[in-house]
Amino acid sequence: MISLHHVGKTFGGGPARHTALSDVSFTVEKGEFAVLHGPSGAGKTTLLRLLYRDEVPSEGDIEVAGFDVPALRRRRIPKLRRSIGIVFQDAKLLGGRTVFENIAFVLRVIGTPRREITPRAFAALKAVGLSARAQAYPTQLSQGEAQRASLARAIAKSPLLLLADEPTGNLDEEMAGEILEVIRDIWQQGTTVLLATHQAALAAVLRRRTLWLREGRLVKDEG
Amino acid sequence: MFTFLASEAARDLRRAGRVGLSAILLITLSLAALGCFWLLSVNLDQAVSQWRERVRVVAYLREEPRPAAVDDFVARVQALEGVQRVRFVSRAEALSVLKRSLGTQASVVDQLPRNPLPASIEVTPTPAAATPDGTRGLSQRLAALPEVDEVQGGAEWVESLAQWQRLFELTGLGVGAVLALAAILTVTTATTLVLHARRDEMEIMRLVGATEVVIRLPVLLQGMAQGLLGAAVALVALIAAHTVVAPRVEPLLTLTLGLQRAVFLSPPQMVLLLTGGALLGALGGLLAKGRAYA
Repeated sequence: MISLHHVGKTFGGGPARHTALSDVSFTVEKGEFAVLHGPSGAGKTTLLRLLYRDEVPSEGDIEVAGFDVPALRRRRIPKLRRSIGIVFQDAKLLGGRTVFENIAFVLRVIGTPRREITPRAFAALKAVGLSARAQAYPTQLSQGEAQRASLARAIAKSPLLLLADEPTGNLDEEMAGEILEVIRDIWQQGTTVLLATHQAALAAVLRRRTLWLREGRLVKDEG
Repeated sequence: MFTFLASEAARDLRRAGRVGLSAILLITLSLAALGCFWLLSVNLDQAVSQWRERVRVVAYLREEPRPAAVDDFVARVQALEGVQRVRFVSRAEALSVLKRSLGTQASVVDQLPRNPLPASIEVTPTPAAATPDGTRGLSQRLAALPEVDEVQGGAEWVESLAQWQRLFELTGLGVGAVLALAAILTVTTATTLVLHARRDEMEIMRLVGATEVVIRLPVLLQGMAQGLLGAAVALVALIAAHTVVAPRVEPLLTLTLGLQRAVFLSPPQMVLLLTGGALLGALGGLLAKGRAYA
């Protein structure tokens, strides 16, 4: 599902040159749940951004869901992104729309047939246990609920791969546990998951394969 | 999908608020000003074409030809360059026309010891020759005929009317262009504000895999909707103004320009005005898009 070969990423040039990633290689098989662990600034977010082609690597090859990511033409990028669900530390819900509308909006902009939108949105809400809050606005949600809504939005389009960038970073332990349960459920439904976190305890709790990233380098591949 | 994009554009239009309203108002003003000058120009154009058709050159003859020689003379004139039609007016016919035009005073003519009017020919120039240069050339050719005493008439004043019409057209375009520029800038500002408000939305759209067309089309549609609304309001204002003003100025138009009625823009011209408005708005939307994405 994910394959990186000797991937490097540098920003800027001259004295301002900064190496975010260096010689990173690993693969994540279809249906696998992997954790990308590292402290802040280790390059986790940059790595995820390379996977959904928000950045282009300075060197190396990346393949995601059958797409040769660095070689993708601009107009093909949406196709790659439709096969990936992304969640961030902040839920990034649209303020003027209800939870249901946030999900329906995403389904509409990717051209989902109208008759499928409502059932798919409600199925996603059910999967994250948020059916009762479908008509709530983001400001009426707790942080945990907002993150679950964000997960519902990510899985509503039935992605092959879920990328989660510090999904529990803003949550207390209990809420973080709930979110991890939801992500585990999504994985058990067959979605490949790559979860980035700086929380060592979280990586330990998950007891999944963990890729250790330090200063832009992959230092350990465990589990 | 288009329904969705249109509803997103409508949502953006509401978001634009007062700035969006100002943009619509400015487009209305610019197109109404343009429309006013256009109306003047269309009416003057009508008068010019009408008068062009009526251009005549009259050649007064030294002597009335014998009836048997009239056809031969008319044929010679008809053969001249730039002549479309020739009508011979005998002295007797000229006097009878004078009597008719005098109406109740016609008896004055009867007091004359003899008919003082000369015979003449009324020459209608071909459309190509109905210009100041054309009629001047025709007058010279007619004056060169031995039978002709004096030549009168021409197209000079019709041309000066045509010049006025062109002036109105150019002024209208100038005023319209300045106002249109202001309107484009306002649409650009309104759309830029909307784009800032839509930043998060566009980011999400990109991340989930929406195509650029889906992301950008609502912006363009929103600009077009502003333009179209402005143009529609301008058109309604022009129709209302024409309905109120036309009956009051028509007697003056008949007297001065010979126009029976003040015409309004034709349906294709109205469609052009509406299209112009939509294009103005779309251009504003495009410029804003460029600015926001830059």
